[in-house]
Amino acid sequence: MNSTDTSNRPGKLGMILGIGVFTGSLFMVEHAISMVTTPLNFATEAAAPGTFPDTWIHGSKSAMDNQDPAVQVHAYNEHTYILRENKAINYEGAFMYLLFGNQKALLIDQGSTASAALFPLRDVVDGIISEWEAKHGQKTTLIVANSHLHGDHYAAWNQFVDRPDTVMVGLTHEEVMDYWGFSNYPEQRIEYDLGGRTFIVTGTPGHQSSELAMYDTWTDLLYTGDMFYRGRLYLEDWDAWAASIKRVRQLADEYPVTHLINNHIEMTSTAKVDYPIGTTWQPNEPPMQMTIKMLDIAVDAIDDVNGPGIYKYDDFMLYNEIPWSYTTDQ
Amino acid sequence: MLNMTNIDITVDAEQQAVITLQIDLGQSLMTAEDYWVATQTIGSEQRALLQPTLDRLGRELRFLLDGSVQQPQLTGFEISATSLAAIENPLTPQMATLYYRLDVSGGEHLNVQLADQLEIPWPCLMKIDIAGQALPQSRLLTNVDRLSRDTLLSSSAGNLESDRLAQLAYGWTKLAPEFTWVAVGFQHIVPYGLDHMLFILGLFFLAGGWRPLLLQVTGFTLAHSLTLGMSMVGIVSLPMSIVEPLIALSIVYVAIDNLFATKLARWRLVIVCLFGLLHGLGFASVLANIGLPQDQFLLSLGLFNLGVELGQLAVIAGAFLIVGWFRRQTWYQSNIAQPATIAIAGTGAYWFLKRIAF
Repeated sequence: MNSTDTSNRPGKLGMILGIGVFTGSLFMVEHAISMVTTPLNFATEAAAPGTFPDTWIHGSKSAMDNQDPAVQVHAYNEHTYILRENKAINYEGAFMYLLFGNQKALLIDQGSTASAALFPLRDVVDGIISEWEAKHGQKTTLIVANSHLHGDHYAAWNQFVDRPDTVMVGLTHEEVMDYWGFSNYPEQRIEYDLGGRTFIVTGTPGHQSSELAMYDTWTDLLYTGDMFYRGRLYLEDWDAWAASIKRVRQLADEYPVTHLINNHIEMTSTAKVDYPIGTTWQPNEPPMQMTIKMLDIAVDAIDDVNGPGIYKYDDFMLYNEIPWSYTTDQ
Repeated sequence: MLNMTNIDITVDAEQQAVITLQIDLGQSLMTAEDYWVATQTIGSEQRALLQPTLDRLGRELRFLLDGSVQQPQLTGFEISATSLAAIENPLTPQMATLYYRLDVSGGEHLNVQLADQLEIPWPCLMKIDIAGQALPQSRLLTNVDRLSRDTLLSSSAGNLESDRLAQLAYGWTKLAPEFTWVAVGFQHIVPYGLDHMLFILGLFFLAGGWRPLLLQVTGFTLAHSLTLGMSMVGIVSLPMSIVEPLIALSIVYVAIDNLFATKLARWRLVIVCLFGLLHGLGFASVLANIGLPQDQFLLSLGLFNLGVELGQLAVIAGAFLIVGWFRRQTWYQSNIAQPATIAIAGTGAYWFLKRIAF
């Protein structure tokens, strides 16, 4: 007679209920944890708004007397920072990008100057990150990445190698492919998750053989690095570039794009006229951001180009596989 | 900035390094005129014109093996230029390529140092590719950072950096090389294989004696060894998006069966073996990420499996140590086995829902 024994045990229904309650409470615990950390929402439905400065700091007549900051910091919006190296420090005046997602920040490019005394990029980036962390109550891991592997975009890379909570993607083609997860570069499209902020990354060789373009599904900004900007587009491999510009156009066909953003300004505000190579002063600069219409002109340019040489368009120039004997400042 | 300097170092399995230096000599260590003249000559005459520059590089571009300066042997060079004007134009780099060979056997750390007085086109990017390492490593030398960070020459260092699982295994390797794969297998259960641990605990909490438990664990083991082996040689494969939710379901099934079956059904053993096949596929996916050495494939696979078994036994031993003492108590079922089994089923259901949702 063990009736007392069985009456103490829960029935089948009770046990099923117990399992359900346990499963439910695990979900509740998970939800509670996510509530405490309050992740930022990078929704993709509508483009997150942002602004560009009316003019960028653009060097000075005398580089020696330049009083501007070494790195200009512009917040396009609260999670999207555009940085520019002072043209008086290096004529490249390269743009760099610091983009935030939950617990992650992505630094694209590290400028043209190695010296931290002249170009304290690490300090500037650390300052932006700690301010952002304080405001949003999150700790971030910094990912140090590059648009492509040219020295005017990674000169200050060493400033970050000993930084805590930092992932260095690396400066070899193999490391870049491994980090982004390319198995079929350049055609492949990678969905990159920067803490809830999704980027579509694809290969854009032509100017340099490890280059990437990135589309930010949150801001709808399309970043084209050195392969398309207002300036002299040096193309070392024409066929690769032609395929890349079509690939970028295809991306812009499939996703809404607010602006094209990139790495340099070398054109003046006058159509077909560029600033002299190496200039450290660019008065009356046109904006850095570009339009889909300009991208269309670049795609159409594929039909114009028939061999090495310089091809001039209103907003950019194609320096196509120019023979080394060419003097570029003619 | 097209004429930055490149140093590529490739170390083969015999610890012989091939060093390739690409440098715009006509814009740095030589005058454009001297470089142009050198490109227009051949043989010993060309070598004589380059010799002072080669000597200078020999002194000022230093390769350090565990801190001591090594003298690499120049094995060849290629210099060419389209015109003197092209050399003079900083925007049209005319790169020279120099090849060296260096014996690094016996060394642990490699560094490259540029003497303070050596001015070359900056920055100088180094790529170090060591046989046995999954990826090359980057080092950047600049006018302010003239000593490269340390590069570990051991073949296993690079690709073990990120994976804590493999890092633990690496620790084991140093102690006893043959146990590495046993350790990796063990870690697949304890502490990283939480779902496999729960499944084993599900078997443990089944009412009954030792015999059915041992029988089921053995059946489970044989089954997952089979699919693990078949999967590793590429005979079977199933997407993880299917395997993972099914593994979670197998936990729910075993737990519910514990709760509701009035007596041990014969086919329970069959079902447990079927689940074993599934779990084997799960092990295979993780093991594939680490990669088994091709030269010792069967041995390492066997040792890995042994590690998995030891992990399972450890789970059962642990469970027995904690609650096994009370197995004969009247309240064991209602106060320990049932609540634990309900929790196991609940966790399995939670995993299942999460795994099908993503």
